[in-house]
Amino acid sequence: MKLSKCFKHAFNMVIHSKLRSWLTIIGIVIGVASVIAITSLGAGMQQSLESQMSGLGSDLLTITPGYSKGGSMFRNRGGDSGSSTATEEEILLDRTDVQALKGISDIAFIETEVGGKVDVSFLGKMGSVSLTGVDQKVWSDVTTAVIAEGRLLDSADQNVVVIGGNLASSFFDQPLGINKMFTIEGSAFRVVGVLDDTSTRIYMPIQMTYQLLEDKDTDIYDSIILKVKDEEMLDETILKIEKKLKISRHVTDKDRDFSISSSKQMMETRMEMMGSVSLFLTAIAAVSLIVGAVGIANTMFTSVLEKTKEIGIMKAIGAKNRDILSIFLFNAALIGLVGGLIGVLCGVGVSSMMPMLMGSMPMSRGGSITLVTLNSVMLALGVSVAVGIIAGFIPAYNGSKLKPVDALRYE
Amino acid sequence: MVRKITGRIPLLEFENAWKIYKMGQINVPALKGISLKIYKGDFVAIIGQSGCGKSTLMNLAGCLDLPTKGKVFLKSHDISTLPESDLATMRGQTIGFIFQQYNLIPNMTAFENVMLPLEFLEYDDDDAAERTRKIMKLVSLEDKMHHLPSQLSGGQQQRVSIARCLASDPEIIFADEPTGALDSSTGIEILETLKRLWKEEGKTIIMVTHDLKLAKYAHTVIELKDGEIVNTQHKKK
Repeated sequence: MKLSKCFKHAFNMVIHSKLRSWLTIIGIVIGVASVIAITSLGAGMQQSLESQMSGLGSDLLTITPGYSKGGSMFRNRGGDSGSSTATEEEILLDRTDVQALKGISDIAFIETEVGGKVDVSFLGKMGSVSLTGVDQKVWSDVTTAVIAEGRLLDSADQNVVVIGGNLASSFFDQPLGINKMFTIEGSAFRVVGVLDDTSTRIYMPIQMTYQLLEDKDTDIYDSIILKVKDEEMLDETILKIEKKLKISRHVTDKDRDFSISSSKQMMETRMEMMGSVSLFLTAIAAVSLIVGAVGIANTMFTSVLEKTKEIGIMKAIGAKNRDILSIFLFNAALIGLVGGLIGVLCGVGVSSMMPMLMGSMPMSRGGSITLVTLNSVMLALGVSVAVGIIAGFIPAYNGSKLKPVDALRYE
Repeated sequence: MVRKITGRIPLLEFENAWKIYKMGQINVPALKGISLKIYKGDFVAIIGQSGCGKSTLMNLAGCLDLPTKGKVFLKSHDISTLPESDLATMRGQTIGFIFQQYNLIPNMTAFENVMLPLEFLEYDDDDAAERTRKIMKLVSLEDKMHHLPSQLSGGQQQRVSIARCLASDPEIIFADEPTGALDSSTGIEILETLKRLWKEEGKTIIMVTHDLKLAKYAHTVIELKDGEIVNTQHKKK
């Protein structure tokens, strides 16, 4: 029998056992839909991480006081809550560190920052936000912040600030725009720039920050931001900085009291974690696909049993084993294919609804948090058809091998 | 022996054929060393009481089963040595079956049922449809072509099954209790059709029945008892 005819008969079989076929199809739909939804979530997060990474500047290094041997993500922020090294003395970054760093030729820019919480008020509305004091002479060379309106800080600035997008637009009752005055810790400041982000952070010249933040001493830094000349040489540069700072701070590997983190490293760590999480979730989703496959196998066994007499009739009128095998395999593959198609649709539907369910997550800032790739769709369809054929093979083979006389006698 | 004319090659030949079924530890012989020859143009009735082995005989003759011992030749081919696919083609091309329970595929229309053997033989679509229509007309079912078997009467279903068996223009027609499920007048109608096919189309017909009245239509009657041929009667054509 021609394969096209086998396909036609398989199609008729699916049509004529509607309920059972559909129940089996649902099993595959659930498996495929969950695989699609989860892989698209993974791909979306990966993509938004990548876009964040490019925005963060992969040529930047941050030096912070304190050191722990744990991963870079969980590093103690030094200064604030004491360091993890067992010393009585508070660990600080100061001018001597900056001097030491200036001797390294691979560094293009050195910028110092200090931060804290401050109370702000504008037109009677009060609140508390984060303040970062930056070295305005080099801030514009180092920062990855993008200005939406106005300008960044420059070296002559004193009582002016650059503010985050949300502080400008929605934090106070009225929008806080360019050249508006508002008070920070009782002193008046003028807004010269609004950033293109969703933060409520305030950036101001570091010297002004020391005046506002009582617990910060002049020329003591919370962090030192470095921009390297050659991104390719990042790892070597980190080693040079480590060596230099160890000498200047009189520490060894054992009592090291500073950390160097690169946004690249941090991103890589996060990507790795994200990758393994999505792999794990995909594996769970794959389990439901396997359950679906068992469903197909079950349906096919039942179907062969139910059609035993028909197999006998077909053999009596000239069907070869190969014809019977093809018909049942096509039947199983069709169930897989239909399940796969509906599953892909459901999966795409679920993943497009995901941003609504997880709208408040910070991940969503970089755009859509899910990404359905053509690859994953093709893979899901291919896998579901393959699953159908594999699951259907043994029942179909058994059916094809039935002796005509036995099959005919079956009631 | 049905008829022995030297030099003629039999269409179907049994050579000391045994069929033994295993029932647990016990071997139950259903056919005990059957030897017979059936030639082109014969109309043979195989009679006997139930359990005498007539269905087993027909299964072997129709290539639905293989003998345990001995040989069965169909058109000079030993069916035990033919590969499965050749045997299937043989069933499709050379043999047509008419069953007591019609054995139509319930999900297919009368037309599709009749066309099915042609699909297995990989006929061209247009040729198959053309031929199917012609045969449906032959059994006067041209107005019932798109009915499902469940929408047809017993006699009509048996006519569909005759049409299906004629679709591939087989040389031998096996009829297993063809009227067993029909009332007597419809039964006679079916028998007349078979007789016409034998006389006008020159088909070889082998009919299994326990009804002696039906056996009278045949020109050779073979009586089976306990797996052995006990009597063979010839009538003049």
